[in-house]
Amino acid sequence: MASEEIKYADKRANEILEVVMAYARLDFKQKISITNKEDVFDSIGTGVNMLGEELEGSTISLREKEQLLKEVHHRVKNNLQIISSLLNLQSDNFQDERFLAMIRESKNRINSMALIHEMLYIAKDFSQINMSDYIVKLSQSVYQSFNAKDSSIAFEYDIDESLFLEIDRMIPIGLILNEIISNSLKYAFPAKKGTIKFCLKEKKGNICFTISDDGIGIPKDFDYSQTKSLGVQLIPMLCDQIDAGLTINSERGTCYDLCFKALMLS
Amino acid sequence: MEVPTNAIEVTCYHTWMGKDGVGRTKVKLGADVTLKEAKENSDAVNSFYKGDKFPLLIDARGIRSMTRDARNQFSLKGRESGVKAFAIIIDSTISKVVGNFFMGINKPIVPARLFTNEEEALVWLKSIDNS
Repeated sequence: MASEEIKYADKRANEILEVVMAYARLDFKQKISITNKEDVFDSIGTGVNMLGEELEGSTISLREKEQLLKEVHHRVKNNLQIISSLLNLQSDNFQDERFLAMIRESKNRINSMALIHEMLYIAKDFSQINMSDYIVKLSQSVYQSFNAKDSSIAFEYDIDESLFLEIDRMIPIGLILNEIISNSLKYAFPAKKGTIKFCLKEKKGNICFTISDDGIGIPKDFDYSQTKSLGVQLIPMLCDQIDAGLTINSERGTCYDLCFKALMLS
Repeated sequence: MEVPTNAIEVTCYHTWMGKDGVGRTKVKLGADVTLKEAKENSDAVNSFYKGDKFPLLIDARGIRSMTRDARNQFSLKGRESGVKAFAIIIDSTISKVVGNFFMGINKPIVPARLFTNEEEALVWLKSIDNS
């Protein structure tokens, strides 16, 4: 090949490379110039230019869809908050402690779901939730709802911060967590002092989630199958929904062990 | 593909209806087809629609580039009303690149195939027309 031809080929190849790299950076302003020679560089250039246009179109379309999804999560969260506020308004005229407790429990269940939608529209990834962030935020929100200013109940977290879960399983997990924390805050600490621990780890493809308290434990004659408590009934039902194994131990305080697959099988 | 004197001429194309009932459109040498030129061509092709859909032979040899909007115009909009199939004749590497976009990314909703030979393209179009 003559030196002029080598120079020409080198120049054209470098120009194409520059444009390919620009497209990789999602910079679609650059285009390969097409000459009248109709040589192989012009053909590659035409193809790269056209693929760049398609990539740009797909990128814009993806951004629009992400924006739409964000908007949907925002609206779902707002609607759930409206339901929660309506329950608040409804409870304003009542003094009955049992009724007020029911309203609070319902509000907490709604908030456990609203928090997921809030985290999803803030996050970059709309398909999954960081479990660590969620557990910390939800536990603190439930604690605040009990208005337990005069109590000294501490939360301890031993959580793998790298674990994520998709929304379909995060909602049942959130509801389960809400029920367990609520039960501990309601019954485990008559002296209003104690600790609730959260341990979340991945072991051999399974996520092991342990929520335990050092309270008075569950009464020995307590029968899970006969209870009328909605919260206690919900826990095994929601575990079934996500195929999670559940073990409850009440030797020292109360300990719930949940174990489920780290990856959802399609 | 010989352009007859009665062909409709727009910026980048000559378009006419053959005596065999096959529409024909030929791109001009070195054409850079944008949405404007694609719409002109669609209008010219659709002007031959008189109630019966017809096959279209597209001679893409000599094309230099075609924008995304123009490809979408051809694949999604303009021609479906009057055209029942596309045969695209390609020979240069640029026309091959452009043609292959119509086989995948910008696939038209009507049957479309690439040919390097005009006679084979016409045989295929007529088989579609008679089916």
